[in-house]
Amino acid sequence: MKSEILYPGAFPMVRVELAAGETIKAESGAMVASSPTIDVESKLEGGFLGALSRKLLTGEKFFFQTLRASRGPGEVLLAPTVPGEIVIMELDGLNEYMVQKDGFLAGADSVKIESQMQSLSRGLLGGEGFFILKISGKGALILNSFGAIHKIELKPDQEYIVDNSHLVAWSATTTYNIEKAASGWVASFTSGEGFVCRFRGPGVVFIQSRNPGGFGTWIRQFIPVSE
Amino acid sequence: MTTSPNALCFGEKFPATGQPCCVELSSTGLTVCLNADSPDTGGMNVPFSALMVSAGGLNHDHLVLKWGAGVQAHTLYLKDPVLIRSFRSSAPPGLTKDIEMTAANVRKVRSRQRTVWSILLAMLVGLGLLLWFGSDLLVDIAVDRIPVEWEQKLGESAYRDFLIHQQVLKDGPAVEAINEITRRLTEKISDNPYEFEISVVKNEVVNAFALPGGYVVVFTGLLQKAESGEEVAGVLSHELNHVLQRHGLERMVKQLGLVAIVTIILGDQQGLIGLMKQVGVELLTLKFGRAQETEADVTGLRLLHRARIDPSGMITFFQRLSEKEDGRVEWLSTHPMSAGRAALLKVEMAALPKTPPEPFTFQWKTVQESLGVEPVVAP
Repeated sequence: MKSEILYPGAFPMVRVELAAGETIKAESGAMVASSPTIDVESKLEGGFLGALSRKLLTGEKFFFQTLRASRGPGEVLLAPTVPGEIVIMELDGLNEYMVQKDGFLAGADSVKIESQMQSLSRGLLGGEGFFILKISGKGALILNSFGAIHKIELKPDQEYIVDNSHLVAWSATTTYNIEKAASGWVASFTSGEGFVCRFRGPGVVFIQSRNPGGFGTWIRQFIPVSE
Repeated sequence: MTTSPNALCFGEKFPATGQPCCVELSSTGLTVCLNADSPDTGGMNVPFSALMVSAGGLNHDHLVLKWGAGVQAHTLYLKDPVLIRSFRSSAPPGLTKDIEMTAANVRKVRSRQRTVWSILLAMLVGLGLLLWFGSDLLVDIAVDRIPVEWEQKLGESAYRDFLIHQQVLKDGPAVEAINEITRRLTEKISDNPYEFEISVVKNEVVNAFALPGGYVVVFTGLLQKAESGEEVAGVLSHELNHVLQRHGLERMVKQLGLVAIVTIILGDQQGLIGLMKQVGVELLTLKFGRAQETEADVTGLRLLHRARIDPSGMITFFQRLSEKEDGRVEWLSTHPMSAGRAALLKVEMAALPKTPPEPFTFQWKTVQESLGVEPVVAP
């Protein structure tokens, strides 16, 4: 399996080349185009209960698409719903990533996707909900973001503060605490940041340059209200 | 040496995602062998004495080993349970103490997380149960706050409305008998806030009902079917207890729902009249719940006992009617005589201390003759 990003920037697409018999799983609806040798199947990743918990708990889609090169080698074009960058990572079997629910675009068949419960404070205040996707295994993992994607590299014990609505994915070797953005409660909210995540390395944190919730609020003012 | 990497090594020279490496344990320490990607770093032998142990990672499920300082500082993240277990077994006691503390901390964090979730879940379930079963409690609280005068006003208007279209017996043996039974019963009610008003209505329907506030209607059909004053007393005692236990109000508040309950608890009882009219609750068609019927049965039986009226009349009347008058007796359609109900009444009766009943002053035969019932001639 070989993948490359086409048109990097705001409206990218991923081309994935599959050898005969190879499969890739992608978020439902992610396929844009494919060779005629590719079959699209929908699959309940992690079994019915796994899929159900993913749907109910993380808000991710119930079905994942499985794209299989069943009639010889071919290629697939994949794209996310929102404008924003795509990043391709190679999982080594040791590093695991936590991904917020809209961040997953596609992954090699050997990549394992589970929904994982967060602690109460993280769930309530972290902005990603109580359940997030935990992605482990070995092979390619393709993430997408809203806006540009930025990678923060943290050395052991190095700290970094991220606005919670800008999180895309972070390695399982990092830890984070939720805290107020400013020292006072009023300042925290009047500054527009509210809660932030204080990450501590080692590991990497992927953030997106735009906040989907903020964008939604902004665009709402232009939508005509029907009587 | 293991061939596939089993840990991640972090440090100045390594990428932020960590360098996959192979960790092997010996009796003196570990050997960390970095991958073929960077052979220059070579294998490192780290003695146990140089290690600092802690738990790390997002879920505190990594064993973190640190050694060295400055640019030589290394941090190793172990996740493989087998590796962690063998580390714990081969590390010296001094270090194991740290590991055990680390493990205890991890367990504490996890159990705290579990506790928080369990409490949350329990609260959710509790809230569900409260809404499901606790509505009765809320109803009780609301009903307690409704003043009796107010309840009387409510019952009275329905009572007068009903009587307008009915032929009420003003006097005669039947009315006297009902008055005597009522007096005998109400005398024995302690702290009675109600002034009971009972009307005998000329109607073939075998029925009797009570309205909130103490307004009771007995139909002559019921008196005709009863074989003794004690049997009528049983029905009356049951109905009076519906009033005393404020069952009518409970049903009303239940029908009106949560809005009414909250309105009443918050002190706006007057608002309920408007609400009732709006929803159109018909007092006369209110049906009591099974629990309320049982309560009225039991308290009714005790009242009969206190008034020294033979309580067995209550049971025999109900049973006889349900056997003979299948489906034609109005009162039974709202008070079905199940085997369970009779059994419960019998058990209750047996538990009461034996006191000799005092007979009524009226002759039941006279009452019945006044209602046009042919005297039964013994064969």
